[in-house]
Order: sequence, then structure tokens, then C-alpha cells
Amino acid sequence: MKEIIDHLKKRFPVYEIGEGPNGVILMSVEAAKLVPMLTSLKTNHGYGILVILSAVDWLEDCKFQLTYIINNPDEKRDLGIRVFIKREDAEMESIHSLWEHAATFQREIKEMFGINFPGSPRVDEPFLLEGWDNLPPMRRDFDTKQYSEDTYFPRPGRETNDPAEYMKQKLYPDE
Amino acid sequence: MSLKDTFSPFSAWRKVFEKPVTIKDPISERPGADRYRGFHKNDITSCIGCGTCETICENEAIDMVPVEGVETKDGDSGLRPRVDYGRCCWCGLCVDICTTGSLSLTNAYTWVEEDPEKYRYTPGVDEKPWDNEEKGWKKPEPNYEFYNLNRVTMEHLHPEERSDSFVEMVKGYSKEQAEKEADRCVECGICTATCPAHMGIPEYIKAIRNDDLEEGLRILYDTNPLPEICGRICTHKCETVCTLGQRGEALSIRWLKRYIADQNPSEKYKKILNSGFLKKNGKKIAIIGSGPSGLSAAHYLALMGYTCTIFEKLAKAGGMMRFGIPEYRLPYDQIDKDISYIESLGVDIKYNTTVGVDITLEELGEKHDAVFSGTGLHLGRSTRIEGSDHKNVYQSIDLLRDITLGKEVPLTEDIIVIGGGNVAMDITRSLARLQKQKYGKAGIIATSLETEDKMPADREEVLEAREEDATVNPGWAPQRIEIENDKIKGLHVAQCYSLFDDEGKFNPQCNMDNLQFFEGSMVVESIGQGMDLSYLSEDLKHELEIDKRGRIKVNENFQSGLPWLFLGGDIIQGPDVIHGIANGHKAAKGIDEFLFEKQKDTPKT
Repeated sequence: MKEIIDHLKKRFPVYEIGEGPNGVILMSVEAAKLVPMLTSLKTNHGYGILVILSAVDWLEDCKFQLTYIINNPDEKRDLGIRVFIKREDAEMESIHSLWEHAATFQREIKEMFGINFPGSPRVDEPFLLEGWDNLPPMRRDFDTKQYSEDTYFPRPGRETNDPAEYMKQKLYPDE
Repeated sequence: MSLKDTFSPFSAWRKVFEKPVTIKDPISERPGADRYRGFHKNDITSCIGCGTCETICENEAIDMVPVEGVETKDGDSGLRPRVDYGRCCWCGLCVDICTTGSLSLTNAYTWVEEDPEKYRYTPGVDEKPWDNEEKGWKKPEPNYEFYNLNRVTMEHLHPEERSDSFVEMVKGYSKEQAEKEADRCVECGICTATCPAHMGIPEYIKAIRNDDLEEGLRILYDTNPLPEICGRICTHKCETVCTLGQRGEALSIRWLKRYIADQNPSEKYKKILNSGFLKKNGKKIAIIGSGPSGLSAAHYLALMGYTCTIFEKLAKAGGMMRFGIPEYRLPYDQIDKDISYIESLGVDIKYNTTVGVDITLEELGEKHDAVFSGTGLHLGRSTRIEGSDHKNVYQSIDLLRDITLGKEVPLTEDIIVIGGGNVAMDITRSLARLQKQKYGKAGIIATSLETEDKMPADREEVLEAREEDATVNPGWAPQRIEIENDKIKGLHVAQCYSLFDDEGKFNPQCNMDNLQFFEGSMVVESIGQGMDLSYLSEDLKHELEIDKRGRIKVNENFQSGLPWLFLGGDIIQGPDVIHGIANGHKAAKGIDEFLFEKQKDTPKT
């Protein structure tokens, strides 16, 4: 493992190298260098499988994080590569040319976070949310509760009690 | 149509006779993953119905509902969460925030009903097949918390800095500390019911978070006109039920109250509290005693327009707060801050005026529309053991009063205090300070009937007394005071192993084979106080109902059998400051109601 890390370090601006859950090695790289790095890992180092692509909304830092987990089946080893992109008009280079199924991940992320992957097949088609007309729902500035209140009617039979107010009624109603 | 399309249905039909690749009952064969977030489970015996799960739920899927068999009581709202699966998205936030740890998600994920209304149930109450399922999502341990389990440490003066002076030992929170501590509050409001004054605790803590301390002060004064005092020495029953105490340390409610009061300068109080101009209603109320209940009654009556006069026996106001509680716990300038605001509302305090001596209660009743009496418990009780009538046996309450008055109090190098309550700790620590000032060292031993675990004093009082070089040796029953040549030599005690008999009556039992002798040349008794009701004439006493324990009976408005006489504070309930404040507030409302009704009934002349 150390050889690959040393090799990557020489060729790409990787930083924050550490170990994640289940011993997976995680590292960050500048967004512009991601595709060349993944290409090198796939072609030269046996990381032939894209396991998952996921996103995190760092609202306070005005950033999105994308995490690419790739797998080397011969060595039975996972590697996680993180990139940070700006949150406003978020856009990232597509990797569907490396792995065809990446287009599906990218389509889902486009829908859930609003991160665009120009050129990715069918990236603008709805994935789960047909007819969605709101902020992408996994963005942290999306107000789930407000959406629930605006969209769904209250079910009959629902009633609730404020604990402090209920205790007053029960224990000291006259004070 | 191609040839392939023509034949494919037949090739499909052929498969009917082959062994199927799918399994027949996939569900029972496929339980959810170990940490799957499936249906809710709740241990309703450890749940206290704080409603934090409801508050955090992003989908409004949780309602707090009463449950049969769960009682509403101190520290438990009696409500339990009911989940609407039409809305739940199984995010698990309700489990992650749960203050008691009672809520979890099982790994069960299948549930079939024909009636959609059934997808709403109270976990732990409505029986479900997954009630005993152990697997599923639980709050990850440790270090996965939405709020800090530990309170922000309050800084104290070190024992060596404080043990020979009466300087206030608790330093108070800084802005940063207070906001950090206030941030722990989950705003459930379980505490409010337990506070005798039912203070708006979550609301004033929220004001600290919003850095709106003027709003905080207004909330405090809604129910408590002595916040500097209560912010220091309140018995803080609220903290005993704080839901954060379920898995960590309760919120420092008392210190946060002090922070609000400390940060607001007294000259701004009238503006903040909007009490600059009070319309007088022409009615006069007499108040006996300037302790917490009297001051509280005066404050709320003055706000309603009554002209209040407080009759105080001593030269300063505050009652037990000033003359009972030592200065290192409650500095005099803080008492003055609270009281001078109440005086600024037009409340007149007549000092050095003893009702029953300088003026009779009957006279007060004639000259005023109503009278409130909160005369407190200022008579020390004696152990009445052999030797307790010696001149060097003192009452703690008398000595504490003399220390406040600045009188020289009797002192020797070896003192014995009898008593295990907070007053006993107060006198022990005060005398230890005076000994250090006079002799350079403390030589004092406090002993109580109660064993260490059952001492009525606050735990921190006992620990701090020891830090200040006082000895606290509990679990001994005083037998007699040894006197030789008219001088006290010490106290004989026997081990006390039981305080109450089977019927719950106070009946201490001693082991006479285990005797001890504490050496000392002065004894202070601190085993409780009684009331002095000598201001009630025999005629008046006949018109009042007095119970077996000598307490005057009052109604829920603290009105006695004499309609114009209201009573409250330690002589009725407590003893503590916050009950006094609550009594005074309720009595003020009661007096207002009484005089309003009376006026209605009086024909206009």
C-alpha cells in the first residue's frame, strides 16, 4: 500500500492521507487532478472497480465533498479519494468514461445535491423524484419539515402535547 | 415479427417445470442488517416524556400523548412518543438525541396492514412483534452526542484562598461559559413543574443563547423577584429532574440564572422591567418580615398598585437570606441589589420594628386593607441533652445572625457543632473562618445523627467544609456534654444506626457499645429551627386554625381563618427561599383577589 501512496504523492497533489472505517485508506486530491489520478489507479494499479460515489454538504464551509471508493479485487483492498468543490454552481468532471455505471451515481447526486456532471449520460433525468420542483432534498439548506408542512395534509387523529404545558395542567392548573 | 419473438413465449413456458431460482419466502430468510433502522421500540419505564424526539423530528412524525398507567409527576411528563409511519423517514435522529436512551429502532422492516390508519402507534405501549428484537439502530457509544454530557465547570476560589475570608467563593460564569452551558439545554421544560415558583426555565436559558439578557431578566421577574439571591443559594430542585441528568450532568440552571442577574446592572432594572411608573390603587398592605416571602409579596403587590409597608425586626432587610446564609455563599451587596429594586417600586421598609412589641398585629390589621406575615423560623432548637443549658452552648442561628450584624461572636480553639443540615455546615464553615483569622487554624468538628449518605446538607457543603479544614464526622447521637469546673470538656456520643422506626416516626436508635468522646470547649446546636408566633395574641389565636405541629392553616391562596391575614414562607412551607418566593407571589394574587371581591360586595356610599 505504501508504494502506491508514495507513487501517488509524487505524481498528484494528494493531502490528508488517513485511515477510515474498516481500514480503508482515505486521501484528498485537488478536483482538477481527480480524473487523471483515477485513470492511473485503474489502468496501472489494479483498482478496476468503482464501489460507490457519494456526496456530503459542508454548508458552513460553502463546499461539497465527493468521495470515490474504488476497489482492487486482486488485493481485496479499498481506496477512498475525496475532492472538495465549491458549493455555488457546483460542477464536477464526469467519470462515466472510466466506469459506465458512474453515470447512475452522478445522476442521483445531481438530483439529490444539485451537483452537475456535464456530459454524463441522462444526468438531467429524474432518478427517484419525479416532478420535483424544490431545492435538491439532500442539501442541508432544504427544510424538510417546512416541505412536509407545505406538501402533506395533516392526518386526522394526530394530536400532541407540550410536556411543560401538560404538566402544568396536570400538576398545578390553578397557578 | 422475427423468428425469435415467435418462439420466445414457448421457451418461457418451458421454465415452469424447472426448479425455481427464487426462494419462496425471502422475508423471513432476510432479517435487516444488525444496525438497520426499522420500526421504533421504546422502554417506557425509563422514558420521561421530555419530547426531545418530537422536537428534533424533521418530518413531524412524532406526537407526545398521555399513556394509561404512566403518571404525570416530578421529572416525568406522563407523555410518551407516538410515531406516525405516514411521515417517519427512519433517519434515526429521535434515537440519537434521546436524553434517556430509551428509544431505539429495531431491524424489523416489514409490517402489513389493510387499514392505513393503523400505521401509527406508541412504541412500548402498543404491542408489536418486534418489541423484543434486540438488533437494530441504537445510539452509537461512546462519544456520539448531540449535546455535551458534562456541564461547564464552575470556578471556585481554592480552599487556601477562601478558608480564612468571607469573600464569595463561587466565581460565576463568563459570557462564553454561560452560552456554552445554555447550549446544552434541550428545552423540554420538565424542570418547570418541579420549581416551586414554576419559573420559565427553558425560556430564560434560551434568552442566554440568544444573548438577550434583558429578556432573560424579564422572564426571571415574572415569577421570581430575587434572582441574584436565588441564582446563588437556591436549593435548585429543578436540577434534580433535568433530563440531561439522565445520562450526564444536569444543566447548571442555578448558575445560569445568576449569570442573567449579574450581567444586568441595577440602574437599568426599572427600564428593562418597565416598572418606572406604577399606578397606585389607594390600598395599603402591611407585610411582616423582609425575608423572601415578604419581599416577593411586596414586589408583586407593588406592581399591582398596592402601597406596601414591610415591618422588619432587625436593622437590615433579607431575613434568613442575610442573617442565616453566610456572606461567602451570598454576598450582602447582591442581597442589596435585589432588595433595593423592590424598594424602588415604592415599598417602604420600617426597620427595627417588632410586631407584637412596637405595634400589635391587630393595629396593623386595622390600619391596612390586608396583612401578609412571613416571619420565618428564627428560634434555634435545643438537643436538651445533659449540659446543653451551659452558657457556652449556643444556637447556630443566633451566631450566624451576630456574624452578619458585625458583633463579636464567642469563639474558642476547639468547637463542636451538633447538626448535619446546611445551617450546620454554614455555622461550621463560618466559625472555621473566624478561627483561622483569630488563631491561624481551624479546630471545629461537626457531628450529626445521620450517617454520611443520609446527611440532609448538600453534598458539596460537606466536601467544601472539609476542604476548609473543618472535621465532619456524621452518624453519632449526642448523649451528654461533659462539664468540669463549670467548663465544657467535650461531647459524649453514641453510634446512631437508625433514625426512623417502622412507622416512619423520628426515633433514633443508638449502639451503646460504640461510644465516642469529642473534645471541645464550646458547643453549637444546629438541629433545626422553630417559629416564633408570639406576635399572635390569644384572641387572634382562637380565630386561627392551628395544626398539631403548630402550623397555622391557610388556604391555597395562603389566606388564614382571619380573612385579612395571609401567611407564607418557612412558617407555612419549606423551609427554603424558593418556596417563600412562590408563597409570597401566590399570596399577593390572593390578597388582590380577596380585596377585589370585598370591594364588589361593599355598597357604594
